[in-house]
Amino acid sequence: MKIAALRGASVLAFLALWQWAAWVPVSFNFPTPWATFLALADLLRSGALLQATATSLQSLALGFGAAVLIGVPLGLVMGVVRGVGRVARIYLDLLIALPTAALIPLVILSFGISIASSAVIVFVFSAPFITMNAYGGVRDARPRLIEMARAFGATWGRLFTRVIVPSAMPMILAGMRLGLSRAFLGLIVAELLLSPFGLGKLIMNSRSMFEHDKMFATVAWTLILSGAALYALARIEGRVLRWRA
Amino acid sequence: MAEPVGIAIEGVSKSFGTLQALVGIDIGVKAGEFLSLIGPSGCGKTTLLKSIAGLNPIDAGRIVIGGRTVSGPGGHEASLVFQDFALLPWATVRENAEFGLLLRGVPPSERAEAARKALHKVGLAGSFEQAYPAQLSGGMQQRVGLARALAVNPQVLLMDEPFASIDEQTRRILQDDLLRMWQEERKTVVLVTHSMEEAIYLSDRVVVLSPRPGRVHKVLDVPLPRPRQALDVRASGDFARLVDELWQILKKMQ
Amino acid sequence: MTPATVQEPAFGRGGFAAIAGLLVVWELLGQMHLTIFVPPASAVAQAWWGLVTDGTLFRAAGSSLLSLLKGFVPAAVLGVALGLAMGRFRSVRYLLDGWINAFMSAPLSALVPVLIALFGIRDTVVAATVFLFSFFVIVVNTTTGVRGTERSLVEMARAFGASEAALFGRIYLPSALPAVMLGLRLGVVQAVKGMVVGEMLISLVGMGERLIYYGNTFLIPELYAVIVSVLLVAILSSTMVQACEHLFVRWK
Repeated sequence: MKIAALRGASVLAFLALWQWAAWVPVSFNFPTPWATFLALADLLRSGALLQATATSLQSLALGFGAAVLIGVPLGLVMGVVRGVGRVARIYLDLLIALPTAALIPLVILSFGISIASSAVIVFVFSAPFITMNAYGGVRDARPRLIEMARAFGATWGRLFTRVIVPSAMPMILAGMRLGLSRAFLGLIVAELLLSPFGLGKLIMNSRSMFEHDKMFATVAWTLILSGAALYALARIEGRVLRWRA
Repeated sequence: MAEPVGIAIEGVSKSFGTLQALVGIDIGVKAGEFLSLIGPSGCGKTTLLKSIAGLNPIDAGRIVIGGRTVSGPGGHEASLVFQDFALLPWATVRENAEFGLLLRGVPPSERAEAARKALHKVGLAGSFEQAYPAQLSGGMQQRVGLARALAVNPQVLLMDEPFASIDEQTRRILQDDLLRMWQEERKTVVLVTHSMEEAIYLSDRVVVLSPRPGRVHKVLDVPLPRPRQALDVRASGDFARLVDELWQILKKMQ
Repeated sequence: MTPATVQEPAFGRGGFAAIAGLLVVWELLGQMHLTIFVPPASAVAQAWWGLVTDGTLFRAAGSSLLSLLKGFVPAAVLGVALGLAMGRFRSVRYLLDGWINAFMSAPLSALVPVLIALFGIRDTVVAATVFLFSFFVIVVNTTTGVRGTERSLVEMARAFGASEAALFGRIYLPSALPAVMLGLRLGVVQAVKGMVVGEMLISLVGMGERLIYYGNTFLIPELYAVIVSVLLVAILSSTMVQACEHLFVRWK
């Protein structure tokens, strides 16, 4: 009970701080929480927000879906074939260290201003993490379990499907969660730069029109959206990994 | 060398919420005595030891060590040795041995001197001083733990299953070394153990606790001659008989 | 929701071979002139050298690194402090961990327009973005480090009479140090990402601005050159933090 009270208090404190920032005002046309809420309702009613969301989710689904479909198997292969893993991880480490946003101008040049570009950017943002986590999951499979399965006469195929993959699942799913978080990040940066699409476009438009309440509303909506998506993924993860204490 | 003192445990009870761990414990530990606490899982022997150390506040009764009632941890009469050694992994052997002294504000040169002496007593002199715990075997790590406990010059040594994590051969060597050290230092020792052999081999008396809630079930005298490590006591018929007697007591409680 | 951890990168001797191999393949592909979007490595090297000699790279990198410092140092100091408090005191943790976790998984790039609304189109936005990107990683890792302190060590120290201050300084802090260093290393990599994102979105100064500019003007070898430079900054910062780690954590 006390925990809920503390958390509730922190939310109230946040809103109070926000309200104060708008009163001061901290900067030109800084919207109050209420103004933001009204703008959000307005945008939802007019359909602009939902349309932008649909466009954004298209790119996200394409890019993230591809990242999972390519990244997970690739990571598994890396984990099983040690040589491939050792070499490929170096490239992946570089991709992970690289500020991926730096690649956006290159992608836009190569693929033009289109949903394909957004999807490619989302892919590049999320795939390395998904792959690395799948790789790590396979690599860290407990040797004792593998030994036990082989002692009971398991073939390599059985060993893979019944011991290694289940054992790697927590890391694979964690990698997907991380990848989804990264996917949203890449999506927003891409759309903010690319503009004419999706939520990014909405944010940039509102900003250029100095409609800061609409901009804040769209940003808030984006955060809620990504939060909901990640929560959903976490729930799925919880169901799949029911055996974890 | 500090004089050993006795411990008076009078009417001690302790519960954790609704769980009664100990009820009405009355034990008088004589000065310089070696006493073991044994009993099935859940009998509260570790809880009792920690209460003597002042780590657990008790709900009823009192514990008096050499005239001072225990009211909190960090008392100067008793020192604790832990089952998992509890060594600071980022500190060297010598720094670990000095830890108790460090917490008492002893200046560096005195600390180093006392630690060195203690390490020598447990057989870890010289080149080991600069090693890190990760580089040592379990037996050596526990020696460091023992040195740390001795360095603060306690009158009472409290040992919580000190050799449980160590292989049997090393364990026997450590038990003999412990007896040898105890003979020279003459401290009061209270040792918690799961091993009946260990309890009989080391102690003057063995207190058997019963489980849930922990009560003093029986106190067994161990009139075997000392020094036990020198006299190959394990091979004697008396030893076997006492171990069996202890086993019969414990078996009835299962 | 607990955030997933990223694995630590490992650049060893094998690393150099792999990178050399990559450069060779790159050069060959580039020479085949398959597309103007993949110039040969040699052209990129040339462009890079050009940017160095005419000072463009130094100017851009200088601005970028300044923003990096202005954002990362406060993030490190405040992040470790908050992480220590959250690790040690349950009430602080319950109060704030919801927020911290939310920020960790949120697309922080969405907040950059808010920062622009706050600060205007200035380089302060970049420092603020750097701060945002790195702060939460540092807090989470520090908190994990403190909470991971072995109970038996705490008990041992209390048994020997340690005060609260001694417990904190001699047990919790040293025990948390490896995790703190990991957090700083991950944090600095995130900081560089934030730096680029911020600079690209305000398109005013630094290497991020150069990326936008060369993209708009189709100067592709130069674009690649800046990308490589940004990567180098990320790797160098991470390596520097790692070097500090070896200084402080010798006992593992």
